Amino acid sequence: MLELHGLHRRFGDVVALDGVDLTVEAGELCGFLGPNGAGKTTAMRCAVGVTEADAGRVTIGGRAVDLEARRRTGYMPEERGLYPRMRVHEQLVYLARLHAMSAADATASADAWIQRLGLADRRDDPVEELSLGNQQRVQLAAALVHDPTLLVLDEPFSGLDPIAVDVMSDVLRERADAGVAVVFSSHQLDLVEDLCRTVAVIAAGRVVLRGDVRALKRASDRRLRLEIDGDDAWLATLPPGVTLAGRRGEELQLVLAPEADAGAVIDAARGAGPLLGVRLEEPKLSELFREAVNGGDA
Amino acid sequence: MSATRTVLLIAEREVRQRLRSRLFVWSTLVIALLLSAAAAAPAVIGLFGTDVELPDEPVDPEPVAIAVVGGLAADEQAALEQALGPVELTVVDDVDAVAGLLEQEAISFGIVPGERVLTAATSGFLNLRSFEADRAAEALGLLAALDGDVEQVGTVLGALPLTIEELDAGDVEDEAGRFLAANIGVVFLFGVLILYASMIINGVIEEKGSRVVELLVEAVPVRWLMAGKILGLGLVGLGQVLVLFGPPVAILLVTGGEFVPTGTGGLLGALLLWFVLGYALYAVMAAGLGALVSRPEEAQAVLTPANTLMIVGYFVGFFVIQAPDTTFSRIVAVVPFSAPYAMLVRQAVGDPAWWEIGAAIGLTLLTIVGLTMLAARLYEGGILRVGARVRVRDAWRAARD
Ligand SMILES: Nc1ncnc2c1ncn2[C@@H]1O[C@H](COP(=O)(O)OP(=O)(O)OP(=O)(O)O)[C@@H](O)[C@H]1O
Ligand SMILES: [Mg+2]
Repeated sequence: MLELHGLHRRFGDVVALDGVDLTVEAGELCGFLGPNGAGKTTAMRCAVGVTEADAGRVTIGGRAVDLEARRRTGYMPEERGLYPRMRVHEQLVYLARLHAMSAADATASADAWIQRLGLADRRDDPVEELSLGNQQRVQLAAALVHDPTLLVLDEPFSGLDPIAVDVMSDVLRERADAGVAVVFSSHQLDLVEDLCRTVAVIAAGRVVLRGDVRALKRASDRRLRLEIDGDDAWLATLPPGVTLAGRRGEELQLVLAPEADAGAVIDAARGAGPLLGVRLEEPKLSELFREAVNGGDA
Repeated sequence: MSATRTVLLIAEREVRQRLRSRLFVWSTLVIALLLSAAAAAPAVIGLFGTDVELPDEPVDPEPVAIAVVGGLAADEQAALEQALGPVELTVVDDVDAVAGLLEQEAISFGIVPGERVLTAATSGFLNLRSFEADRAAEALGLLAALDGDVEQVGTVLGALPLTIEELDAGDVEDEAGRFLAANIGVVFLFGVLILYASMIINGVIEEKGSRVVELLVEAVPVRWLMAGKILGLGLVGLGQVLVLFGPPVAILLVTGGEFVPTGTGGLLGALLLWFVLGYALYAVMAAGLGALVSRPEEAQAVLTPANTLMIVGYFVGFFVIQAPDTTFSRIVAVVPFSAPYAMLVRQAVGDPAWWEIGAAIGLTLLTIVGLTMLAARLYEGGILRVGARVRVRDAWRAARD
């Protein structure tokens, strides 16, 4: 659906994008991660055509980003912005119509999203009179009101209370399930881990990790914690891809490469004595993130 | 949705937002009402004025009180009565006594027979010397010249002068009206252009400041945004001008009669034409320059180049009023930035050839097209850069080709 091919962008001496390649499919809900200054915002701006890349190509549905494509795109900028003195409903209708929606459809859609996002009692208030969180809901509605097939949201969760986070999560999931390609940036890795099947991590202007979260986890080292009532002699014959990372008290911490068989390690340990405790841990997304980002820096 | 429809949609929002401002709507209506009242005032006053009918001739005129030093001969008194009607004479001893009576305003004037007529001193500025003293001096002088023939004096004094008729030579009234119209036109044009240039720039800055512009730019090409804003505010401006000046001008046309100069219709057409062209000229500059700044405080500073052109045009306009058909005036009337003022003035009080008007319109339109491309590029390069003022060169380079 959305494809970024080799995007480059400089600001003076700063290289913001250094060859970004990224594809987001229809129906995919992709978390876009990266440390501050990594180039997330710049990449998303290029994706929606707000900023022009120095080199590289953006295509949506296989075509260069033209007016038609922009009209099917919903965007939430990092710097939130609405007309402060325009009323909520009126503003949403206007933005929908700017995206070529008919007046009647725009009115209906604006009302539906106002209802859905719990803004019904603020429908005809000027945006500037709403609380920050409610303004953020209007901002989300502004990205959704014209029924886009691609959603590009820059840190949609920042500044939201837990209830609003749930609403936002539900909406994004629902849109993705309805076949919309959704990509959003965030620094809340746990939230992304819960919400997204796929992630992309960008560091220093390059995508350093990309794919299905489950597959990424499976493809990286796991951690096995063992407590055994016995001596350490068996450790001399660890299977390939397994290393001892350390010990805390009685607990041994082993690192298993992706191809290593955890069952074989456990079997070997049982030969040494009774097992008091076993814990096999997959890496958390935050660990994958750190590893990818630090690797990218190296 | 076509470019036109999108631009219209953007323009519509501008109009709606303006009309929502109570201050704007009410101040416009109040000023329109005041202007209409001012336009109607002469006619209304005239209406009351003609009601008062003066009697054809005064019934029983009051006798004129006159002091005479020493005394007056009978023929002299008769001559005075020929000139003034009934008189009431007071005989006094000397000139000082006359002065006393004049001071008390007990007499109209005094006479030293065979010598002079005495009146109260008048300031040179307000000549209040009585008409009666003049007539008396004339009558007594005539009496002496005609050897005391009182009858002759009466005949001479009663002779009617020939009537004086004003010939139609260049229609002075009309010139004055057109001269006034040219002055008002220049001031008016300057006022609205300044007002709307600042409305444009504030609109641009509002969108930058509130950052809504990033959403807009995502949806719509930047040039359309600029066009919609200029069109929308232009329509508001035109509407405001019509509301403000339509009723008073209509009132003047209906009630003004000879006061309204001939060809006023054409003049109003010229004013409208140069309002639209002048607006387009300055609005695109305001939009392009406005995109370079983010704060309202910076608006006037960044507008300086446009304002300077506007002010120069304004003064040139006044200069042209004095000499509308000199070579200088003919040149500045086709030069784009002074044309809105200068050609307007020439159309009012000068005598421009049709091709000169055509050239002025054509050159101004060309300049508008050129400036629009320039401003659109600045707008594109500057509109997304919130914060410090963007340099023209940077905005130019940042714009995509
Ligand atoms: N308009 C700009 N002018 C100059 N430099 C810029 C501009 N926009 C971005 N940069 C630079 O480009 C780099 C990438 O910035 P970007 O905003 O894309 O990062 P980000 O991943 O969104 O960061 P964050 O997580 O803090 O939002 C940064 O070094 C930034 O300073
Ligand atoms: Mg960012």
